[in-house]
Amino acid sequence: MGDKNAIKEKTSFGQKLNKFTDAMGVWLVVLLFFIILSVATDNFLTYANLTNVVRQICVNALVALGASYVILGGEIDLSTSNMCAFAGCGAALLMRAGVNMWLAMLIMLVVGALIGCLTGVIVNYLKIPSFIASLGMQYVILGTTLLLTNSEPISGLPEGFMTFGRGYIFDVIPVPVIILAVMFAIGGFVFKYTSFGRSVISVGENITAAKLSGINVSRTKVAIFSIGGFSAALAGIVLASRLSSGQPMAGTDIGLQAIAAVYVGGTSKGSALNVLAGSLALGLVNNGLNLLEVNAYWQKVALGVIIIFAVLMDQVRASKTAKK
Amino acid sequence: MQPTEDILVLKKINKAFPGVKALTDMDFSLRRGEVHALVGENGAGKSTMMKILSGAYKKDSGTIFFEGKEVDITGPKFSEELGIAIIYQELNLIHRVSVAENVFLGRPPRRAGVIQWGRMYRDAKALFDSFDIKMDVYEDVRRLSIAQQQIVEIIKAVSINAKVVIMDEPTSSLTENETQILFRIIRSLKEKGISVIFITHRLDEIFAICDRMTVLRDGCYIGTRDVKDVTKSEMIAMMIGRELKQQFPERSAEIGDECLRVEHMSDGGRHVKDVSFSVRRGEVLGFAGLVGAGRTETMRLIFGADHKAQGKIFIDGREVSIASPRQAVAHRIGFVTENRKEEGLFLSLPVRNNIVAVAIDKIKSFHILNFGKEKEISDKYVRDLQIATPSINQRVVFLSGGNQQKVVLAKWLLSDSQVMILDEPTRGIDVGAKREIYEIINQLAAQGKAIIVVSSEMEEIMGISDRILVMHEGEISGEVKKEDFSQSTITEYAVGGA
Repeated sequence: MGDKNAIKEKTSFGQKLNKFTDAMGVWLVVLLFFIILSVATDNFLTYANLTNVVRQICVNALVALGASYVILGGEIDLSTSNMCAFAGCGAALLMRAGVNMWLAMLIMLVVGALIGCLTGVIVNYLKIPSFIASLGMQYVILGTTLLLTNSEPISGLPEGFMTFGRGYIFDVIPVPVIILAVMFAIGGFVFKYTSFGRSVISVGENITAAKLSGINVSRTKVAIFSIGGFSAALAGIVLASRLSSGQPMAGTDIGLQAIAAVYVGGTSKGSALNVLAGSLALGLVNNGLNLLEVNAYWQKVALGVIIIFAVLMDQVRASKTAKK
Repeated sequence: MQPTEDILVLKKINKAFPGVKALTDMDFSLRRGEVHALVGENGAGKSTMMKILSGAYKKDSGTIFFEGKEVDITGPKFSEELGIAIIYQELNLIHRVSVAENVFLGRPPRRAGVIQWGRMYRDAKALFDSFDIKMDVYEDVRRLSIAQQQIVEIIKAVSINAKVVIMDEPTSSLTENETQILFRIIRSLKEKGISVIFITHRLDEIFAICDRMTVLRDGCYIGTRDVKDVTKSEMIAMMIGRELKQQFPERSAEIGDECLRVEHMSDGGRHVKDVSFSVRRGEVLGFAGLVGAGRTETMRLIFGADHKAQGKIFIDGREVSIASPRQAVAHRIGFVTENRKEEGLFLSLPVRNNIVAVAIDKIKSFHILNFGKEKEISDKYVRDLQIATPSINQRVVFLSGGNQQKVVLAKWLLSDSQVMILDEPTRGIDVGAKREIYEIINQLAAQGKAIIVVSSEMEEIMGISDRILVMHEGEISGEVKKEDFSQSTITEYAVGGA
């Protein structure tokens, strides 16, 4: 009798644990990394390190937010790394040419969205798979950046511009964090609470059914790439501000890390919060491996393994909920 | 030479799927070197039998004898080694490689593990030559016509020493000329002592090429006859001769004014040629015909899912332009597609998302989704249509076929469709759920909606329609009024007239 009860309790505890891990998802992983790093290293839990990590993550997470729209809409955009560099350099060039700082940033955001829009048009109307279309666009954008900058960093930017990457609000909260919070609030809201967000999920889930349900598939496809381009441009501007210059070769793998962050966060239950968790997890791994003084080359290997492992976990989670 | 020896014998084969008895005590025998037609309506059990022979399905009971020995077909490999080859309607060729490579796919001539290309091309050429077929064995398969691809499949079957070749409606996409070439090849197969099971809907072809025929109906063996001893009308009688046994709910809808009219619609002659018809409010218009007659394609044209080459659509007497499903939805046309999983549902999304997928504007207030309203609406439809689901948050992939279909129906009901097109609305759902779907159709008719039902199930279409249009090869071959409903009339129109 007693044994039976014990088993029963055990399973119900197991179920509770399951439910908990399921709800927490990748946030649990973030928490785990955080605890491990706090214990294993002396300088992880310092103000200087944490603000540094957060600033690094901000740029990646902004790109990832845009990438999540593209990925959940069933496509992929490989050109975002170069979009970051392009937007940063473009804004820097405009400012150096005497254009008002705000106007320069606005122009580059619009251009970023338009280039994304172009990728979307190529994918949707010319029926070129997004992997190839964005691969092509990546080189077009890279080439344009190099032409404009002659492959040299663009420095000598107005003092005020540095605020976006390096500044603090109330001397505590880094400005990029504010930008990130605002963007994720908007991105998350649009995703969950508007019919556009529903269209993105529907198109990503079953494009044929979406078409036959009267959803405007073409507009949705073009829109997700525009959002991806806009987000990457914004990230690029924040990055340029942090580096206090437009770097033509900056952030060569930001775009790919962003895609990884979306997958690590989990696409089976796509949401802005998951994307944020994915970005945090990757950021902590990067930072942690540095602090643990892991050889830089081994860091790359470890990162790759962790990305694959994280996505595997998401799939296991998805198939587990599927069985219920 | 008159073939006599049996090469393949099936005795009392049974096969059941959840809720459906696909084959009951099926008997069949095939002689060496004969062409044996296998006929029956859609769903009669032809493809189930074929899949048992190919090893795709396992029989529940019964025995199969091949060349006099009892065999247990455990899988496709086994069936191939026995010498049974199947040529499906969807051809199984690799499009981007040469004819010769396709013929020797998976077993190219090798020496010490290295592929001997020269020998492969020579052997392939010799095979085609032995049938007097001109074929460039170096050509990529994708550059061949469907007929030529079919020939490649047949030659491939011969090259693996097939003794029995099963062809599933091989002529359905061939021209008259190509059909004649196919028949010539079938005759040379016969001469070589190879037996052919020829599945077809076209009765004329049975007379042209087959020695014997076996009729299946509702998964049961009806009979085998020598083709020279039967008439066409006897064949049709064998195919359909049965009583209506399913019950269809009574309908009390009043038929009103014309709601939808289609004039001279075509897709350029590929599947749909000059189709005109109209349907009135409160009326259920049935579309009968064989698979591939162009019914689904006609519906897709009306709904704007495919491009119309010609034709006008009128709703309530006014001409409307429908070039996309969006416009069809705006004109309040609903389309419950034939393949609900591929075309109707977002499988891994919850019931609620699926229900509001079309009429999402109804749950918006100031551009923002109102989840309370979504829940209210979804709950209402789950209740009204008796959708069996633990909650509206359940992903539809976990619902049964009948309940999935109801979710699709709910989606279109919520969007206030005035014209409701239902393509094979009860395919793959059990008998109880079928009746519920019929009841929903009746309710819709009673609400004054115009309803079009495409169905390949004869009983169903006769049981629920007020009027039936029969299609044959892209054209409407006949119209049957309720008082004249009979299976033989409809079947005659469906096979292109007696």
